[in-house]
Amino acid sequence: MASANSNANVYGGDEINAIILDPGSLSTRIGYAGDDFPKIITPSYYAANGKKHIFGDSINVPRADFDIKPILKDSVIEDWDAAIEQYHHYFDKELALDYKEQPIFITEPIWTSAKQRQTLVENIYEKFDFPALYLGRAPTCVSFQQGRPNCLVVNIGHDTVSVTAVIDGISLLKNSMRTHYSGQYLSDQLYDLFLNKFPSLTLDAKYKIRTKTPTKYPEPPVFTPRELPKNITKSFDDYQKELLFHEMKETLLEAPDKQITDENSESYSKDENRRAFELPNGQSIELAIERYEMADSLFEPNNYSFTNETLANKYSVENGSLTIDSNQDDYRPLKRARKNESNQSTPPPAATEPSVAETRGLTQLISHVLSTIDIDLRASVAHNIIVTGGASLIPQVTERLYSELSSLNPGLKIRLHAVGNSSERVNQAWIGASVLASLGTFHQMWVTKEEYDEAGPDKILNQRFR
Amino acid sequence: MSANDILDVLNIQRDNSGQPSKKKAKHGNDSTNLQARQTGMARELYNLLGPNTPPVNLTNANNNVGVKDRWKSKATPWTLKDFKPKSGDPLTLYHWVRGSKELLEQDNIQVQQPYFFTKFSTNVDIPDFVDEETFNKYMEDIEVEERKNSELWEERRMEKERQRQEKLAKEKAARDNEKKIKGEKGEVTGISESKKDASSEVTSQEDGSQSEISKESTQAQSEEASVIPESKTNAIPWTYKETKHLFELCNSFELKWHIILDRYEYSSHRSLEDLKEQFYRVCKRIYSDDANGNPALIDSLGSFSKSKEVERKQYLERLLKRTPAEIAEEESLVIEARRFELAAKKMLVERSNLLTLLDSPQTSQSVQQYQSSQGLTNLYNNLMIMDKNQKRRQLQNQSSPSHDPIPPPIPLAASSSIRKERTFQTHLQQHLSNLVKQNQSQGNKNEISAIHKLLMKRLTAKEEEAYGLHYHANERLTPGVILRSSQRLPGLQQRQSVLKSVTSVFTELDIPTAGGTSWRPVMPTRKAMAKYDELLRAVVALLEVKKGRDKLEAEIQLIRSQKGLE
Repeated sequence: MASANSNANVYGGDEINAIILDPGSLSTRIGYAGDDFPKIITPSYYAANGKKHIFGDSINVPRADFDIKPILKDSVIEDWDAAIEQYHHYFDKELALDYKEQPIFITEPIWTSAKQRQTLVENIYEKFDFPALYLGRAPTCVSFQQGRPNCLVVNIGHDTVSVTAVIDGISLLKNSMRTHYSGQYLSDQLYDLFLNKFPSLTLDAKYKIRTKTPTKYPEPPVFTPRELPKNITKSFDDYQKELLFHEMKETLLEAPDKQITDENSESYSKDENRRAFELPNGQSIELAIERYEMADSLFEPNNYSFTNETLANKYSVENGSLTIDSNQDDYRPLKRARKNESNQSTPPPAATEPSVAETRGLTQLISHVLSTIDIDLRASVAHNIIVTGGASLIPQVTERLYSELSSLNPGLKIRLHAVGNSSERVNQAWIGASVLASLGTFHQMWVTKEEYDEAGPDKILNQRFR
Repeated sequence: MSANDILDVLNIQRDNSGQPSKKKAKHGNDSTNLQARQTGMARELYNLLGPNTPPVNLTNANNNVGVKDRWKSKATPWTLKDFKPKSGDPLTLYHWVRGSKELLEQDNIQVQQPYFFTKFSTNVDIPDFVDEETFNKYMEDIEVEERKNSELWEERRMEKERQRQEKLAKEKAARDNEKKIKGEKGEVTGISESKKDASSEVTSQEDGSQSEISKESTQAQSEEASVIPESKTNAIPWTYKETKHLFELCNSFELKWHIILDRYEYSSHRSLEDLKEQFYRVCKRIYSDDANGNPALIDSLGSFSKSKEVERKQYLERLLKRTPAEIAEEESLVIEARRFELAAKKMLVERSNLLTLLDSPQTSQSVQQYQSSQGLTNLYNNLMIMDKNQKRRQLQNQSSPSHDPIPPPIPLAASSSIRKERTFQTHLQQHLSNLVKQNQSQGNKNEISAIHKLLMKRLTAKEEEAYGLHYHANERLTPGVILRSSQRLPGLQQRQSVLKSVTSVFTELDIPTAGGTSWRPVMPTRKAMAKYDELLRAVVALLEVKKGRDKLEAEIQLIRSQKGLE
């Protein structure tokens, strides 16, 4: 007890080395609670040839007939078999866990449906031997990482941008919003740009090139290709291209300080704003205003429509509203009946009305969520906006957000908090979960299989995993 | 090889006298200790230091031993120990605890301690929810009560409405009348174009104000209208199931209302206030049925008003919806208002100063008595004493009765009366004789000096003057002899700027000064000095009065112009 006492004096911690699992749409993070960084950061993709599955960074090795498949979509597990296999791979082979020794903490986005949550919980209980588990909402974890019980978590991730208010360390589901104008969207914008502006460019991914000689864009690339196994799948090539886009996003993009219009586009296309990027095949391209336009599309997706049809079809108009289905199905008809009734008298809040067809960029999304939050909380929440996620690392994004939010909400004092360390910002939810799961007071929250079976999924999912 | 050897090789004479410290150090050091400490390389190095022995021994052997000891000592044992975070739950977790396994086991056998953090797990105190029957009864009661309330409210509202209508009608009538009159006037005198224009302008203004008023009234109406349906949406009745759900949520989310609303799954059209209202009123019922319910708690539960809460939120909302221009304007207005306040305060202070200044000599009595020099000096003395008394009172608040007798403060109105003057003189004489008596008691008792004799006599003013006698009533005199020409006039205690204007007045009036910066008459006799001082004060007072008058006049002008505009 001595250690518990002395720890309690400092930070109320009691470390039991629980396993933290934070599956994201781009990468999955696994590690021990109490650590300041995940032990394993691995892509949320796997390579499969029908018989064998390969996980981790070795999926980047070109192999014949191996398809690259995603495990998650929108931070929600889609491919259950692969997910379970991936977790088994890391728990058994990499961490060599004795499951009995510690419980597991899994982060989840706020939009997972009750069915998905139930599947996840039951799968974990069934397939792994953890004594207990806990599902934590990702925004709650982020709020714990920052130590701010009341905040607005703006997560600009790979698949989605989500804005969630966290009150007293509990995420508000009804006010939350999500769009897909995020990291993947930027990659697609980049791809669209290549199709338009550099039509003759062959996007050769890194794995194809052995040696290269630098050339400038209109000149053809000069490189010697690598010897590759036959039958490299298209999905592998696409995945490698995605990685290339990822690199370009990291090095090239920069958010303009205000919306790009015809008047100010001049200043962004100046020579000083020109950056060169060398493609893996040695060809270098130069971008100026495009760098800003890409990042601007996060804020004003309306102004940047895709020219390529398949890409355009991928993104429908989104106003960010989320429909989180209730878990108590028997009450639903009641709810619906009332909705129709009241639609005549008072218009319901915009968040529940999906008919409002309107695209919301990042700023509008945040500002709309702010306006739906109860007035008593709005000021404190606006003062604690946490910006996290990989795409928020684009230079000047937080500055642009700050200036736009301040001018949109003159009555509120806006303050943005973004972790300076880039790898911390990408893994913020994991770190927060690590903090949460090493608190002494948290250990009464773990749910065992017995309790789950006894109380039933409804009660546990809604009132225990809050 | 030591430093000595090197010195020998280089043929340098050692100056032993210059190194007394080394000798001392050698003597002082325990030779065995030294040898024990320095062996091999260390000793050679030490020797190379030569005469430059460091005053403090840098190598501390004890420290090393300490570290070594620590290395060698056994590490504190830590044990991976199982614990149960929740009592009555099968879940067992493991954490590291300081102490050996045996010790911990022993401890554990002695006392089965609950988990340290269990005490932080608390629940809110919420009454247990009732069964359906009682709930229905409660709801009926509540409904009846509310209907009564709403009727009352409706009545009050109607009353208000009527009053407003009446007021509006009255105002309208009054305005119509005015308009008519104005219109007539316009027609009657409307020969010249300009006047017609003016009247039409006035009427248009009237129209504007009227429309504003009507807008206000419609706004008020709409506001009320928005309140009414909200109370009517209550029409969606609370079922037993729904209320039970609410109570469950309240229990599991510890009355964090925003989260309860977020997780509320029944109707998406219940507002936070609806939930609160239902919860509080049902709680109130449950508690008041409970025999040992806390009456203060029941009262506080009843004090929740949904309409007030909604209103408060509307106000807050409006506050947040201000545009930046409005915020800036508001801020500038606040700053301006503060400035005005400050100016007004300053003005008030100045005016009161001025009034006291103008007040102090009571003008109700005749000025006759002051026309003689005697009268004036008396007045002056009286004022001086008063002034001093006031100052002293402020300073020490009469905490310690001072040794020298101070004449009692003379009331303003009576200050100049002869009777008081006489009492004052007798006071003075008593004081002086007391002093003399003291002197006598100290010195030779029998010898009564001529001065004393003189003092004992009651002298007339004329005699006093002839003898050159002067009572320094309570003037503070510096000890020793001083020349009157170097005496500082009390009237000179003014600000430099005031003094400057006083000089200009003096030159204007051709009053000779000694010139330059020295402020005294050419012939500084006592009387002349006194007069001069008086004059100085008078001029200062005059200047101040003039300043005050100018200010007042300007103010009057301002007010007049404002009134004129209206």
